[in-house]
Amino acid sequence: MRTIGIAVSLVLGTTLAGGLGAQDVQVRLDRRVSPEVQRAVRGIAADAAAHGLPVDPLVQKAIEGGAKGVPGDRVIAAVRALAGRLAEAKEAVSEAGVAAPSGDVVEGGADALNAGISKGQVGELVRVSRPPQDPALTLRVAATLAALGVPATQAIQLVQGMISAGRSPSDLLGLPGQVQAGVARGATPAQAAAGLARAAGGPPPGRAPDWVPPGQRKPRNPHKP
Amino acid sequence: MMGYHPLVKRLLDGELSLAELPPELRAEGEEALRLLGAVDRAPVALSPLLDERVMAAVRSHAASPAHRAWRWLNTPREVELRLRLRPWTVWAGALAAAAGLALLLGRPAPAPERGLATQVRVGLRDSVFVRFVLYAPGARRVAVAGTFNQWDRSAAPLVPAGTSGVWTTTLALPVGQHQYAFVVDGARWVVDPAAPAVDDGFGRRNSIVAVTAQGAHTL
Repeated sequence: MRTIGIAVSLVLGTTLAGGLGAQDVQVRLDRRVSPEVQRAVRGIAADAAAHGLPVDPLVQKAIEGGAKGVPGDRVIAAVRALAGRLAEAKEAVSEAGVAAPSGDVVEGGADALNAGISKGQVGELVRVSRPPQDPALTLRVAATLAALGVPATQAIQLVQGMISAGRSPSDLLGLPGQVQAGVARGATPAQAAAGLARAAGGPPPGRAPDWVPPGQRKPRNPHKP
Repeated sequence: MMGYHPLVKRLLDGELSLAELPPELRAEGEEALRLLGAVDRAPVALSPLLDERVMAAVRSHAASPAHRAWRWLNTPREVELRLRLRPWTVWAGALAAAAGLALLLGRPAPAPERGLATQVRVGLRDSVFVRFVLYAPGARRVAVAGTFNQWDRSAAPLVPAGTSGVWTTTLALPVGQHQYAFVVDGARWVVDPAAPAVDDGFGRRNSIVAVTAQGAHTL
């Protein structure tokens, strides 16, 4: 009975983690990629699902390659590389204390790794991304900053600084656009990010100068008895 | 029906005698009378049982409970309703009805734009309209393909904004991050110059847009 229970849990876990069944993968790939690519991606997806990785990004990548007319072997290589990044990201997220990370967080971690952010930095960012921050979002913001040319360490520091300053997820989402604007004005991505990091040290717009982020203690007022 | 001469028809109706017919119609008249005489004019006697059977059927129909119920429901009746009201309750009721009507009519009608937006938000929960723009002078057709439409090159065509070379479209995208690229003339994949781009894994670049409940960011 216990064996059946474990087996059911494993099957359920695999299906839920993957988000897509083998049949769904087949249906989605049908007529979008060659039969050879379909076979290979089905195998990669099944393996990913068995390891609790999200399958949807893999299928998307294969479809993207097919739509762009990329040769089959390159599509398979890209899907396999993405599966590897997803596995590495899941490991990093799990090591950061998230026992069962969502597919979105794992995908965000894979994006960050793809942008040149290290596995350790992915874990570091996940650790500081406490509600209302979503680790999937913070990872993607850091990934995009890195993709814009901001050095990985500086991108991580900027996002961490914004989180510890109590900035909203929306503020974080605005960072890449602000870096782009800085670059358009002639700054390097690193200079633009440094300017934003300095600005992040102050209170968020609309807050009093003595505002402190939630969860932090206000400094004692010496003039108060 | 035979086409008899009108005078022959009058003969058959008994309005004329055979002698009164013109000589050339007499043969036709005689033939018509002969045919008519051949018809059996004996009276038809109905079976006395038929009468009974018909009346039995009528009685059983009238006696069926369904028919009686229907007749009871459908028959108009006079109903007398007597109300004993104090005059002040009549006035209070009238005032309440007037106030309800005024509230109903006085409610401000939603502005068309707002109404449309609200409807869209309800129908496409967690979706936000995102406008895509590409300056592509000389292009014959432009589309946007991405993770939101399974990279379908024909799913989201852009339309030219006049003759300026600017192509645009607006899509309702679910909240989340999406990768995309423009497809010019069905074959050329072009990144959005106004948005950050990342390696697509195939040696090219994909643009990124992040859609939040507050709007879209070219993340």
